This record gives sequence, structure tokens and C-alpha cells, in this order.
Amino acid sequence: MKSWKKIVLPLAASALMLSACSGGGGNSTTASGGDKASGGGSDKKEITIWAWDPNFNIAALNLAKEKYAKTHPDVTVNIVENAQADIVQKLNTGLNSGTTKGLPNVVLIEDYRAQNFLQAYPDAFRDMSDKIKGSDFADYKAGPTSFDGKQYGIPFDSGVTGLYVRTDYLEQAGYKVSDLENIDWDQYIEIGKKVKAATGKDMLTQDPNDLGTLRVMLQSAGSWYLKEDGVTPNIAGNPAFKEALELYKKMFDANIVKLNSDWSQFVAAFNSGDVASVPTGNWITPSVKAEASQSGKWAVVPIPRLKTTAGSVNASNSGGSSWYVMNVDGKDTAADFMASTFGSDKDLYQEMLDKIGIIGTLKSASEGSAYDKADEFFGGEKIYADFAKWTTEVPKVNYGLHTYAIEDILSAEVQNYLNGSKDVDTVMNDTQAQAEAQLK
Amino acid sequence: MRTYWRRFHAQRLFAKLFLVMVVSTVTVCIVTSLVTIRMSERLFTETFGITNSKVLNQIRTGMESFNDSVVNAASYAAMNGTIKAYLSGGESDSTRAAGTYFGMNQQMRRVKSNVDAYNLSVTAAGVNGRSYSTDRNYWPMSESRLLDHPLSVRTEAEPKRLLYQFDEERDEHGHFVPYIVASKALLERTTGFIYGDLYISIREDEFRRFYGNFTSAGNDVVILDSTGRIVSSNRTELIGRVSRQMLDYAKPSAEGEDVVRRNVEVFDRSSILLSSYIPEYDFYLVNLIDRDYAAGKVVNLRDLVLVGGLIVGAALLLVFLITRRQTRSLTMLVRQMSTVTEKNFDNYVRVTESAGYEVKELSRAYNYMLDELNDYIKRLLETQKERRNAELAALQRQINPHFLYNTLASIKILVQKGDKEAAASTINALISLLQNTISNVSETVTIEQELENMRNYVFINYARYGDRIRVNVFAAPDCMIYRVPKLIIQPFIENAFFHAFNEKQNGMIYVLVSQSEGRLICEVSDNGDGMEGAEEWNSTEGAALPNPKSKRQLFTGIGVQNVHNRIKLLYGEEYGVSIESRKGQGTKIRIELPLITEEI
Repeated sequence: MKSWKKIVLPLAASALMLSACSGGGGNSTTASGGDKASGGGSDKKEITIWAWDPNFNIAALNLAKEKYAKTHPDVTVNIVENAQADIVQKLNTGLNSGTTKGLPNVVLIEDYRAQNFLQAYPDAFRDMSDKIKGSDFADYKAGPTSFDGKQYGIPFDSGVTGLYVRTDYLEQAGYKVSDLENIDWDQYIEIGKKVKAATGKDMLTQDPNDLGTLRVMLQSAGSWYLKEDGVTPNIAGNPAFKEALELYKKMFDANIVKLNSDWSQFVAAFNSGDVASVPTGNWITPSVKAEASQSGKWAVVPIPRLKTTAGSVNASNSGGSSWYVMNVDGKDTAADFMASTFGSDKDLYQEMLDKIGIIGTLKSASEGSAYDKADEFFGGEKIYADFAKWTTEVPKVNYGLHTYAIEDILSAEVQNYLNGSKDVDTVMNDTQAQAEAQLK
Repeated sequence: MRTYWRRFHAQRLFAKLFLVMVVSTVTVCIVTSLVTIRMSERLFTETFGITNSKVLNQIRTGMESFNDSVVNAASYAAMNGTIKAYLSGGESDSTRAAGTYFGMNQQMRRVKSNVDAYNLSVTAAGVNGRSYSTDRNYWPMSESRLLDHPLSVRTEAEPKRLLYQFDEERDEHGHFVPYIVASKALLERTTGFIYGDLYISIREDEFRRFYGNFTSAGNDVVILDSTGRIVSSNRTELIGRVSRQMLDYAKPSAEGEDVVRRNVEVFDRSSILLSSYIPEYDFYLVNLIDRDYAAGKVVNLRDLVLVGGLIVGAALLLVFLITRRQTRSLTMLVRQMSTVTEKNFDNYVRVTESAGYEVKELSRAYNYMLDELNDYIKRLLETQKERRNAELAALQRQINPHFLYNTLASIKILVQKGDKEAAASTINALISLLQNTISNVSETVTIEQELENMRNYVFINYARYGDRIRVNVFAAPDCMIYRVPKLIIQPFIENAFFHAFNEKQNGMIYVLVSQSEGRLICEVSDNGDGMEGAEEWNSTEGAALPNPKSKRQLFTGIGVQNVHNRIKLLYGEEYGVSIESRKGQGTKIRIELPLITEEI
């Protein structure tokens, strides 16, 4: 009676062990999805912001985040760096598919592209009219950042342009800085020819794939690739466009243009002293100053204007971007963050200018110690005060929906014009026709 | 300590049985587990190896298709005139340069479209110092650095080959970011003149996607170049390290071996190494499976120990309970049996139903044996008692003729003296004495009767010898009803009369009867000569008593030794006679008896 138990019990035990072992073999851990973004109401205290330049807009974000954290310690701000092209692609993909999953609370969008998003997906962005007033910012920013009477964007940096010139090269050609103030592009080209003759240096550098200079010329006259409605191409028969295009060819014909193919070559061109001037947005200031050995050899004067087109002024814009709050979970937190920092904080703009060199577009922030500072690099000139002043003079245009689409067509056509295979009217008509066909 | 030992000693059987059970159960459990673990481990590693060989092939396929894209991009670039013009052309005027730069952009976009499925950057560097990059931030290699960079030196050393090389660049935070750079020299077919290099750089973390999905903790992928440098791995801390040892392991030992499989010791871990050579890259794709980790995943040690422990525990509890029940009854039986002491056979063992068949039967048999034994002893005692009684009766009946002769002689003298009264009472006393001694058949008499007999005897002795020895009787009235064996005191009085006063001529004999501590005490003491060498004697010390047997008893044959034996036979060991005697001072005899009122 006892002996059978002796045998059976261990057997039973080992049988159970065996089954336990085999059970262990099939054991698999189910991964628990760590989807932190899910859950929470509109009062979610964690927001994500996308921007692209760690030395510029991301640096500004960090300043704002720091300031905001002092008064709102419960809010977490995640700043994510993405290439601009990636941001555009991700936004397009996300909005196209109708899902906001994976999209940030705040996104920085270049002004040229803003309308494209706002008009296509107005529901995807939070109307900021209740938090900020468009009129608090530079007038020309209203075009890209608002739609249908609603203020969507929080205008960020000013793309106001200036003409950066090498005073030493100009002197060698017999010019003073004052000779370049408030000139037109024809005068600029003439000076360029002289400078090239005197110094052997090209007057400016251009990337033939980026028609920024053409856009600067257009906006100085209050004109654009598209008409006021933002949809109709405004190329054929546009006098401002024709003059700008002719000036563009003139520059190349004068052989005063050094070519570059990307940003680093662009920066290298003036840092290495290969060009005598840089007509572009104020955002280039830090790059110009990066070459400390050229301190005192630079000056900033107003951008040239168009000579024959009526209403062209010595102020224009290049680039610039604005913040947009997206209609996703946490939008009110994000709106509050943006409104109380970039939307109203004058001190923040002073700090941004002081530490990063960003010129904002908040009107009330356009003066102060940081703006009044004389810059020794530019021969003691108060360049920021100048830029702030020019910002108010920039003509307002509607960048519309298709700036880059038209520029794609145009850059190829411009080559045909430059190499002489087409005349200016043909180029304009062909571009107009292609644009109309493509953008229908 | 001793008690513990004794308790353990008592539980010896249980302890032994239980110990054997514990050892065997645990051993079987452990051995079975170990064998199973080993089996499953081996099975697991086998299967793992086979699966991972397939996985390696799949990774290879992914990498090869990437290579195809890169080859397409490179050959497009190599055959493109615009790109050649950009990279080799000399200085020209702005307009023509604008055309070249514009064309370069267009063509490089097409080059890149071949590899658009991957996140990478394409860079071209020309002999004229011009370079072009689709994304300089992605691969922050400046134009000037690229000129005499080892990357380009190696590329141009083997112009016909597409090379994959490892590169590290600092990002804007100063951290090193590893890259894998596919490079190809761009050369004129006819002259062999190298006019530029094309670099397709992919960040290592992008490259890792080819195999990232297949890795897990303990299952690592390492990609080695032909110098043993680790160009990519999911274990990022290894990237950039050179491991010749691993390279040796990864190289196929025989020609035509597609996937090398070895058990090796790398990075201080015992691993299964699977390796596949990818000729397009000149890379070794190595899969490392950490044996311990992999096995640890299969064998959930915690569960195993838990389940095993539970089962063993339950089994042992069961064994414990059953063994204990079995052995406890046995132990109890043994303990009960062991209390059987000398002359005590009344320890019957309890027969419990729960004890099990064997123990029950054993108990019954034991009890039956005890029954038989006790029965036998009882009968033996009975026989002995009867024999003694018969002996006593025989003795009782032997009235010493001297006594009768002397008594009758005394009476004759009294009659001759004319003392009729005294003669008559002496005769009465003799009659009464003889009657009580001979005719009374009952074994016991009351103290009262015994004392009456004694008085008669003493009276006769007075008549014979005069009253130089006086007898005083002090009997507690409450003792009168107790019964004692017949002629229990008389032998001692007789002894005192005829032996205690040989030297002294006068004396007293006291008889005291009392009860104390539930016993009847009869004391006979004299103040006579006392005995030499017998200062104190009691029954327990053996036969130190002066043997009165040797002397003839004057009245009956019953002697002192007889009395002692008789009492013990009748009432047990605790009763008996004790004697205290001192030379010249007297003797004291103490008889202890139980209090009995009923006639036996």
C-alpha cells in the first residue's frame, strides 16, 4: 500500500514538471505598446513641436520653452528636429490620410508654403484669433498666416532682406557704402561689373535652382508668381515679373555671378571672400558673422528695388516662417504656450535677437536695447534697427498655394532664357501655360 | 537536547522513511528537469540556428536590393554627361555655369531617385574641386576634407569597384555618427581618367533597418568589413570596433559554405555564430545568439522552480502525512509496549482503527499475549498461595506438645495448690486459644479477635512463668474492626517472651495497634536484651533477621520469617515486617498491613 505511493508520487511530480517545461518553451512575451501619445483630453500637458534649424528656430524654441517652464512647470514641451523637407512630407502624408496620429502640436511652416496647408486643410489647424491679433505683427506676415479672415499662424521670424556688401571690395572699385543705399538693380549690376573689373570678385552668388533673388525683386514691387487670389499664375503680362527676369539674365550676362549648388557652398562663397555682396534675408547675418576675420569689412544697405516697375520699394522679404498650432490633443496647451511666448513676449524677442540674431515680426518688440545695439562686425552700424524698420516697409503679397510648384517650372524655363534659346516673353508665356496646365 | 534526541530516536522509523522519500522525490524532480531543460535547450538552439540561417538570407536579400539601387544610381551617375561636365569642367562664364549647375541639380535628383526608398545622401566630388551633395547636413563631410580622405583614396585605388566603407562624422553636437558609405570612382571609359567620385552615404542607424526587425536581446546582428571592423550592429557600442577574432570566426572554413555556423566565445559571451559573406559589400553578416540568454528565454527558470517546488512540496506533504500516519501508530505501539516493566503486565495497547491493518493485528496479538501471561501469572500466584496456606494450616495444627505439656503441668500445680479459680481460667484460656487456632478455618480475623487470642496466650504464660514479663496492649479503638491474617502478632509475642529476657529477669512487652497513612501498624516492642548485629532490619535488606526457624516454636510452627513472607504474599511488596533492635535496649518489631474490613 505504501510502496506504490512511493513510486507514483515522484512520477506524477515529474510528469507535471515535464508539462511545465514544455509550457515554458512556448512562452512568449507580448510587447506592450508604449504609446504615450494616447489618452488624455485637450488639456494634455505634453506638447510636441517640430522645427528644422538647431541654430535658428530650434534655438528660439528652447528660449521660449525655458521662459514658459518658469510659469508653467506642469507643461512638458518636446522639441523635435526634422529636416524641413521631412516636415513638409510628413504633414502632407498625415493630413492627406486624414489622421492626425503622429503629428505634432505645433509645427513651423515656411511662409511660402503656409497657404498650401491652410487652404487645403483648414480644419487641421487651430484658429488662433482668440489668442493673438494679426495686426500685432508685421503687415506682410498677415498674407501667409491667415486664411478666410482667421488668424492661424503665429508669425515668427522676419525674412526682411538687406544687401550685405563688402566695403573693402567696393572701395577698391571706388564706391562708398552710401553709393549703394536705396539703389535699383540696374545700378547694382553696374556696380557689380566695376567691382569685378577692379577686384576680380563676383558681385553675388546664386544657385540656379533657387530663384530667391527673383522672388525678392517681385515682392519689393508687391507682385508675386500668383495673383491676389493665390491660385491664378501671374506671370505672362506681369511687368514686375518681366523686369525681374530681365534683371536676372543681366546679372548672368554681366558675368558677375558665382554659382553654388547648396547652402554650404552659398555660405562658403562669401565666407571665403569670393563675392562682394549678398542680397538676401536677414537670417544670413549669423552666417556672415561666422567668418570673424571679415569683421568691419561688411555693411548692410537696403535691398535694391526695381527701376521701371511702379511702386517698387527698397524693402522686400525672403523666406521667413510662422508657427501653426494643430488641431490635435493638447491644442489648448500648445496655443497657450505659443500665445504667451512668440505671440506676445517682447522680452523673448529681445533675447532671441541678442542670443541668436533672430529678428521677429512682433511690432511691439521691434525696439529695445537689442535692436539699438551697434554691430562692430558691420562697422558699428545698427543693422537690427534697420532691419526692423525695413520689416514695416515690406509690401504685402499673397504667396498663394503654388509658389514652389511654379518655381519648379520656372527654374527650367529660366535656363532656356539664360542660354538664349528663348526670349523673355516666350519664357513667361510658356511658364504661364505650363503652370496653368499643371495647377488646374 | 537529550529529550530531543529521544524524541528523534522515537521517530527514527519515520525519519528514515521520510528522508528516503524526500531524497528520491527531489532527485527525480531535479534530474527530470535538468534532462528536459537540456533537451529543450538543444532543440531550441537547433531550431534557432535553422530559423536564423533563413533570417540571414532574408537580411541578405534586403541588403542586396539596396546594393542594386546603389549600383543603379552609381551607373546612372557614371554615364551622365552633365554630371561629368560639372565635376570635370573648367571655369566658364556665369551663364554657362548656371546651366551646368542647374543641370547638375536635375541629374543628381535623378541619381538620387534610384535610392529614394532609403534615407541617405548622395555626394559627388570632382577633380575640378566642385562637389555636389543632395543633403550636406545628412553627411557633414566638407568638400575640402573629402579631397585626400581615406574614403576617396581607397575608392580611387579600385576605380572599377563599388566599395562600401565605414565612416564616422561629428554631428552638430560633436557626437560621432557612424555612416556606411558606398563609393564609386567616376571614370572616362576610354582613357580611364577619374574625373570624380560618387559617395552614397547612409547613416548606420538607417542601414540597421535591414536587419533591425530580426534582432532582439540576446540575438544580435553584427556586420563586419573585410578588415574586421564592425560597421553596423544593433549593439551600438560595438560599432567602429575592430575584432579580428570575430572576423576569423565569420570567415567560411570551406569553399561553398553559404552560412557558417559555429559555437564561439565572443565579447565574453558563449554564443552561436551564424555568418554569411556578402560579396557585393565585401561584408560579413554575422548573427550572434547568446546561448545563455536564448536558453534563458526558453527555460523560464522562475516558473520552473516555482512549479517544480510546488509539486515537490505537495508530494512531500502527502508523503509526510501518509508516512507519519503509518509510522506514528507503529511508534505509539512501540512506546506503549516499552512501558511494560518488571512484574507489570497490565499495559495493554490501544487498538485504534486508524492505525492500519498491520498495527491493529500486532496490537491485538500483543494484548492477547498479555492476557495469557496475566492469566498464567494469576494462576501461578493462586497455586502458590494455596500451597502456603496449606503449609500454614499444617503448621497451625501442630500445637507444640511442650506447650500443651507445660500448660497442663501448670494447671495441675494450680489444682494441687487448690487455686481452682486460676486453674479454671487458665483452662478456659487454653480452650479458647486452641479453639481459635485450630478450629477457626477463616483466614483472617479482626484485630479484636487477634488481641483476644494474644491475651489468652499471655494469660497462660503468666500462669506458667509468673508475671516477671508483663504485656501491655494499646489498641486504637478504630482499628478493632480491621482484619488481619490469623496468628500474625502471636509469633512476635512468643519470640519476645522466650528470647528477649534471657539476661534481664524482668521486662515489659508493648503491643501497639494504630493506623497511619492508610495502613494498619502493629508494633511489638520489648525492653529486653536486644539482638547483636541486627540493629535495624527490614524485609527489603534480605535475611538479616535472626533465623527464628532454627529455634523451635513453642506454640505453633509459625515463625517470624513465615509471617513476613505471608504478608507479602497476601498484600504485596509494600507491606511486611521490619525489626529494629539494639543490644541491651530491646527490640521493636513493626508490622505494616493494609486496612481491610472484609473477610477474604
